[in-house]
Amino acid sequence: MTARSVALPSNIWPPLIAALLLVGMWQGLASLTEGMFVFAGPVEVLGAIAGEGSLLLRSAGVTLQSAALGFAIGNGMAVVLAGLALALPRLERLISGLALVFFCLPFVATGPVLRVIFGVGEGPQVTLAALATYYTTYLCLLVGLRATPASWLDLVRSYGRGRFSELIHVRASASLPYFIAGLQIGAPAAFLGAMVGEFTGAERGLGVLSIRAMRGLEVDMTWAIATIAAAISAVAFWFFGWLGRRLGAGPPPLLLSPRREERKSLGFGALDLTLVVIAVLGLWIGLMQAFNLSPFFAKRPQDVLSFLVADAANRDVLLDAFWQTMSLTVPGYLAGLALGAGLAVVLVTQPRLAAAALPLAIALRSIPIVTTAPLFVLALGRGPAGTITIVAVMIFFPTLAACLEGMRRTPKAVLDLFATYAASPMQRLIHAQLPAMAPAFLASTRMAVPSALLAATTAEWLATGTGMGSLMALTASTSNYNLLWSAIMVLAVTASLLYALVRLLERHVLKTFASEQLAT
Amino acid sequence: MPDPLASRPPRVSCDGVEKTFWLGGDAIAAVGPLDVVFEPGKTTALVGPSGCGKSTLLRLIAGIETPSEGAITIGGATPAEVTKAAGLAFAFQDAALLPWLTVRQNVALAFKLARRAPDARRVSDLIDLVGLKQFADARPAELSGGMRQRAAIARCLVTEPGLLLLDEPFGAVDELTRTRLNAELPALWQERGTTTLLVTHSIAEAAALSDRILVFSPRPARIVGDFAGARHDPRARAGLIEAVAKALASEAELVS
Repeated sequence: MTARSVALPSNIWPPLIAALLLVGMWQGLASLTEGMFVFAGPVEVLGAIAGEGSLLLRSAGVTLQSAALGFAIGNGMAVVLAGLALALPRLERLISGLALVFFCLPFVATGPVLRVIFGVGEGPQVTLAALATYYTTYLCLLVGLRATPASWLDLVRSYGRGRFSELIHVRASASLPYFIAGLQIGAPAAFLGAMVGEFTGAERGLGVLSIRAMRGLEVDMTWAIATIAAAISAVAFWFFGWLGRRLGAGPPPLLLSPRREERKSLGFGALDLTLVVIAVLGLWIGLMQAFNLSPFFAKRPQDVLSFLVADAANRDVLLDAFWQTMSLTVPGYLAGLALGAGLAVVLVTQPRLAAAALPLAIALRSIPIVTTAPLFVLALGRGPAGTITIVAVMIFFPTLAACLEGMRRTPKAVLDLFATYAASPMQRLIHAQLPAMAPAFLASTRMAVPSALLAATTAEWLATGTGMGSLMALTASTSNYNLLWSAIMVLAVTASLLYALVRLLERHVLKTFASEQLAT
Repeated sequence: MPDPLASRPPRVSCDGVEKTFWLGGDAIAAVGPLDVVFEPGKTTALVGPSGCGKSTLLRLIAGIETPSEGAITIGGATPAEVTKAAGLAFAFQDAALLPWLTVRQNVALAFKLARRAPDARRVSDLIDLVGLKQFADARPAELSGGMRQRAAIARCLVTEPGLLLLDEPFGAVDELTRTRLNAELPALWQERGTTTLLVTHSIAEAAALSDRILVFSPRPARIVGDFAGARHDPRARAGLIEAVAKALASEAELVS
């Protein structure tokens, strides 16, 4: 039937055939470009894995261990934060704001700083893995804990039970699907965090091997490492999906949709913003004092301020780098969003293709693209094209998966209605599927902001030698810590502000396109 | 210009219609075999146990599903041809309003889908008629279940189709409004002589609104009772209701 255009595949053949085609194309491309030191096909990758098997296995084990530890800590933090936000509704905006700012810290800079603090060992890897994980889980939990149908809560109250029973019996189980979804998104992110942590100068792990292979132009090895990282992430993503289904928690209604604002329609007010800024500064100073960090590398807000105010040259260096980075991030970000949503629209008008593509897109979105950044550097050189491509690819797969999923959730009754008027596929797309896609597209637009900056700065750091990424790498090695902390502040503030801006836009649009989702 | 297919009330005939769904490896017979003719301009109520396949029959006639066996003709054309000419309208059990459109836009959508220029005046008239004047610019999320169903009925009627398929259209409407709608709305399509198929759980409603009542067996849906309706004869309703209820009860016994 035409009405049910994007039903789930009834068997596994279409995605399997698509995957085989993809592997075939990969091998074909590799054969065509032989001698260019760019592509290594599946055969070469398998060869590299066989040749360096024990080293790769050991390194993957090290990285996986850091990722798992960080994953556990990050999700623990998310549960605590969400619990706090639920218990103290007045503080929710403050907690959410702080959580966002810490999530937006640029890994490229926090990595080296953490390296100085922790010294050798896996401290930075674990910390970055935790930082990469906690925010999405926190958001999912927050939506989940509030998604409880009011009638369930009334049921608990009708037995005279209090808020605690409410939490145990109702809210916890109602939020389980959301929690699982958070874990699912977080698992590949934790692996990414651990690998970026290793980029900062660990002794062992896949990240270390990856940098070494890229610098030595070992094409087969670089591809082998990226393949292993992708495979581990995909398995982790799949595992939590399976766990969710096992526990009877299907995918939640809509992921990461911001909840309805009871008091004001426009998100953050000036008061909330001031509170968050004060809290960030307080934590910044407080944590440094508490851990007794040396003022030589642990710069306080006042140091950053005087550094930026004292010398215009400092500001110019920072601003130059900032604009360089933004000039690569913004085109990549927009291209990734447009290509993801565009391909989703094309696929949805080709139902068979979409059935094959959805599982593939979901599998591919779990790949931590940043860990494959060395590949793009090999393929596209160290110019702006490479960085823009990394940013675009980083955003492309999550957007594609979210948009396909969003359109798949077009209410079936609405599609039936269109069938009773024999509506054309174009009418169906414009009047039903695109509006149904809007909330998912906007959610991924928002979540893509920090990822885009992460991808751009990582590429700059590893390869291009321009922009904030390179600046931060440079200042870390020349011990210009004032500049490093200024860069961290500028990037975190930029990411947080852009994120908040997109969320504002999202709320505005959601009010129209998904009022029923805001109402729940 | 509306197609002649669209404006004239059609005769609907089902010849040996069967529908089988496949769930995993199991065949589930939902409908039939069914041979029945619905006369043009008449209202037929379909009653039967829950889940017996009445809704599936409506979906087959609407061209949303295709029969596994047999054929359905609507005024001599296939359901697919009739839907292309916007010759039928379907009121879904859950209203199927688009959540991002207002009531007015939802009703006007029927014109767009029927590829006709929207008639703003007619849209407003129908919204008034179903009692949603004050909610014309509200979105579905702001309406009660019954109000949503009324908006859906307005959307069905606005294009003046020759065939109306109503699946529990008053299911979520409160008793008071239901009585009022039962008194006012049917006149709207019955005056024009629309062929109407009405699935309902209320035998009283079936008796009061229809020219004919068909009683269906539990799945697969087969016709086990065929009564003349009492639309024009209020005094005959009590007896009719009792007879239909009896036919339904004997079907229920067969199941247990």
